Amino acid sequence: MQLDAAAADGALDSWARFCALTGELLGGRGDLSVGPRFTPVVADLCSRGLATFLRDYFLHSLEETFREKAVKKFWQHFHPYCSSSAVDRIKFCAEEHWPDEILSTALEDICLEKSYQEKCVLVLLHALQSYEDRTPKTKSKAADCSFSLMPRYQLMVSSVLLTTLPLNFPEILNFYFKKKLEELNNVVAGSDDSDQLDNYDLVERSNTSAWHSAMDIDGQETVISESSYLVKNIGKVVRDLRCLGFTSITEDAYSSAIIWLLKSKVYELAGDDYRIPVLGCVKKWIQAVPLRFLHALLTYLGDSVDYENESSGLKSPLASRPNSFPGIGVPSEALVRWHMRLEYFAYETLQDLRIGKLFEIIVDYPESSPAIEDLKLCLEYTGQHSKLVDSFISSLKYRLLTAGASTNDILHQYVSTIKALRTIDPTGVFLEAVGEPIRDYLRGRKDTIKCIVTMLTDGSGGNASGTANAGDNLLEELNRDAENQENVDYDDHTNIDEKQAWLNSESWEPDPVEADPLKGSRIRRKVDILGLMVSIIGSKDQLVNEYRVMLAEKLLNKSDFEIESDIRTLELLKIHFGESSMQKCEIMLNDLIDSKRINSNIKTSLLKSPQSVPGQEEKEMSQDVLDATIISSNFWPPIQTEDLVVPASVDQLLSDYAQRFHQIKTPRKLQWKKNLGTVKLELQFEGRSMQFTVAPVHAAIIMRFQEKSSWTSKALATELGIPLDSLNRRISFWTNKGVLTESAGPDADDRTFTVVDSMSDVNKHITANDRLDEYQMTEEGESSVASVEEQLKKEMTVYEKFIIGMLTNFGSMTLDRIHNTLKMFCMADLSYDKSLQQLQSFLSGLVSDEKLEFRDGAYLLKK
Amino acid sequence: MARGENSDAQSSNVPAAAPSGAAAKPAAAGSARGAEGQSVVRRLQSELMALMMGGDPGVSAFPEGDNIFHWVGTIAGSAGTAYEGTSYRLGLTFTAEYPYKPPKVRFDTPCFHPNVDVHGNICLDILQDKWSSAYDVRTILLSIQSLLGEPNNDSPLNTQAAALWANQEEFRKMVEKIYKPAA
Repeated sequence: MQLDAAAADGALDSWARFCALTGELLGGRGDLSVGPRFTPVVADLCSRGLATFLRDYFLHSLEETFREKAVKKFWQHFHPYCSSSAVDRIKFCAEEHWPDEILSTALEDICLEKSYQEKCVLVLLHALQSYEDRTPKTKSKAADCSFSLMPRYQLMVSSVLLTTLPLNFPEILNFYFKKKLEELNNVVAGSDDSDQLDNYDLVERSNTSAWHSAMDIDGQETVISESSYLVKNIGKVVRDLRCLGFTSITEDAYSSAIIWLLKSKVYELAGDDYRIPVLGCVKKWIQAVPLRFLHALLTYLGDSVDYENESSGLKSPLASRPNSFPGIGVPSEALVRWHMRLEYFAYETLQDLRIGKLFEIIVDYPESSPAIEDLKLCLEYTGQHSKLVDSFISSLKYRLLTAGASTNDILHQYVSTIKALRTIDPTGVFLEAVGEPIRDYLRGRKDTIKCIVTMLTDGSGGNASGTANAGDNLLEELNRDAENQENVDYDDHTNIDEKQAWLNSESWEPDPVEADPLKGSRIRRKVDILGLMVSIIGSKDQLVNEYRVMLAEKLLNKSDFEIESDIRTLELLKIHFGESSMQKCEIMLNDLIDSKRINSNIKTSLLKSPQSVPGQEEKEMSQDVLDATIISSNFWPPIQTEDLVVPASVDQLLSDYAQRFHQIKTPRKLQWKKNLGTVKLELQFEGRSMQFTVAPVHAAIIMRFQEKSSWTSKALATELGIPLDSLNRRISFWTNKGVLTESAGPDADDRTFTVVDSMSDVNKHITANDRLDEYQMTEEGESSVASVEEQLKKEMTVYEKFIIGMLTNFGSMTLDRIHNTLKMFCMADLSYDKSLQQLQSFLSGLVSDEKLEFRDGAYLLKK
Repeated sequence: MARGENSDAQSSNVPAAAPSGAAAKPAAAGSARGAEGQSVVRRLQSELMALMMGGDPGVSAFPEGDNIFHWVGTIAGSAGTAYEGTSYRLGLTFTAEYPYKPPKVRFDTPCFHPNVDVHGNICLDILQDKWSSAYDVRTILLSIQSLLGEPNNDSPLNTQAAALWANQEEFRKMVEKIYKPAA
């Protein structure tokens, strides 16, 4: 195309005028009077097909001016903060109105400028449109230009700002929202406190209805207006920021501020107190503060889509959530999304917090059950159970499974863990994972069985000792088990009909994904504390055996035949372990009951007969003083025996008793275990008497001093038929009591003991040793029953030769191989019935006796 | 010459392992034979019991693995002989005919002895024609133990050893050279 000179001149002329007018328009603040003059020039240029040039030039000059006039100034507001050091920045943050004021003035300025420029754009737009109106038929470029003018302008503004954006600007925004949200939170919380101060305590914080009704009370109006004013301010800032193209930066800033506030709120509420549930009030708070804020904000910005319109169309599954929030009404979908996001975050935060402190929570378990409940709800929501397992196992290893923790404490914690995790996960899958390290550790402890049995039996006795607390737990568990058993029986009748079976099958739920498929389905995996305890030990036989020994000890030390509580415990154990395994224990208890009967029977019959020989009454002791516990020794654990020669008068009593027993219970005979039992005696000195409850051997010793007041230890030992060293050990009881004094005897290892008769001496000793008495007695309290370890050692000795034999021929063998070989080749009368654990403890005994060596996981003969 | 013997002795370790593998057969046969096999098992069990409880010093044996027809035995060289301080491991394999047939006994540890060949085979009358059902594991082991100190040089399996026997000092050196204690 060829331009003639006149047309070119006209175009140039128009262009020059357009440029001048543009300059005037943009430069002149608030003066839009150029508009009318602008229109013909624009029309002229458009008719010449220069619409795009015209638009580009116009936008370019707008950009120049915007950059010059607004942007520089805008960033200058934030310059002091951005250019200061990190330390100074903290000072900025501390200032009360810091980002608030600067931000709003800066935004105000730049928006003013922008709105003016927008007006300028409108002027051009108007000019273009008027041109188009006049030439409607021709599809001109001007139409395109006018169409894209405004979006292009917006793009220009945001790109200019974003390219000049200082690094710290998001930070400033973040601070701003944090501060504002805190303010809002305080306003709401303040109203909350003042309003409910009287009927409001910590526990009631979870009380939903009270909380919400308060929101609607008239007195709240000021608060609402105050908070809505706050929200309006924030909304304005957000709108300004958006209009400058900072939409995503702004959203990031306020959502991170909300999350931050939520996190600190959760920490503040949850803290280190596990006795109150916090989940409820966290949720309430989410609705009260951040959601109300968001609602107000979204409404203010006009983003909130009308719910009615939305629901008619495609309805998000999320929107089907509870659709009424207090003080908000029907929520928009965006708000519902926010709600879910915030709740999830709250759950996760609380869960992490609780998991981190799970060890402490479980330590004070029954009190901390609200925290456990919270954790359960959180985990149901987040499904991060494995996090719990990992973190808890590591804290267990670090804090509980150490040499310093007593077995009792570990067991107690284990029981609490079982109970707590049973609440969180009734299927027991996670408990299995968590319990494994505890069980492994406890298996390595020698006193585990003893502690478990003590826990099982101690509770009933009302024992004041420290273990009673832990014991209660297990005994209570036994009781509960017994009740369950009854319930199950009852259920069985109703379960028969198919309807119930159908219901059961419908309520079936799959195991959690973490479940170990090898361990069987949950039906078999009933969480049962006693079962778990037994599984630590390996077999119930060991537990029953230990119980038998402890029961024997307890029964033998009784002098009153009172065994009510033991019978109750035994009944409970029978339910759990089966009749047959508790049979021996039952016989033991029956022995006691029989003893009581036979004892009174013998005594009444014996008391009648001595009347035939009166006169002897004075010297002889009456049968009245003797009570016998008659046991069927086959069913009792091996009993420690020790020879003891009792004084003739007592011996006479015993043999009379035994004779009488033989008469009543022929062909049975009574064999006395003279070293067992207790003797209550009273020592009479000049004008004074002392009472003691001692072991028979102590009584035998002191009774010898009736005959003569001084004995040498050797003579006394021979007289009593006990070894000298055991005599020396026992007699110290009396010297400690100040009843006897010790002095050098005829030769070095022979001592002379003399009765202290003088009262002053005794008194002196007594006061000094009073405290010592009980201590002495307990230390002296030798067990009358061979302990399980001793029994085991005795039983295992037969296998020692086999073990030595196989090690001679095979060199070294692992525990398993020894166990299996023993099982295979020990037959007939020597059949091998010990557990792997028992063998292990026996072998370690041999190692410590230096008979064997343990190297690289295998045993070998010590050379 | 001595060197050659040594390597031969080493190679004898290889066939020595064979009986333990083959031992499963008599066991299976034993159990198949029912009552008769059971009585052999019972006899071996009671012998094991007696051996363990008897506690003879210097001899010991124990069934290997889960097979009571194959035993591992251990003999300590008696004091005052060229074998003092050594400990020899043997393999004993019983048949279902035991105790009417003798067990097969061989040295697993290489042994320099006039009546033991390089493969560990033993030439001992009670293990061959002089066998009686009155013998048992314990007496076999004790016999072999005494054979170590009192070889029968008239019918040697190892002629070098028989020739060297007269010179006890040299003999002892050879014993130590061949001897490889079990791990």
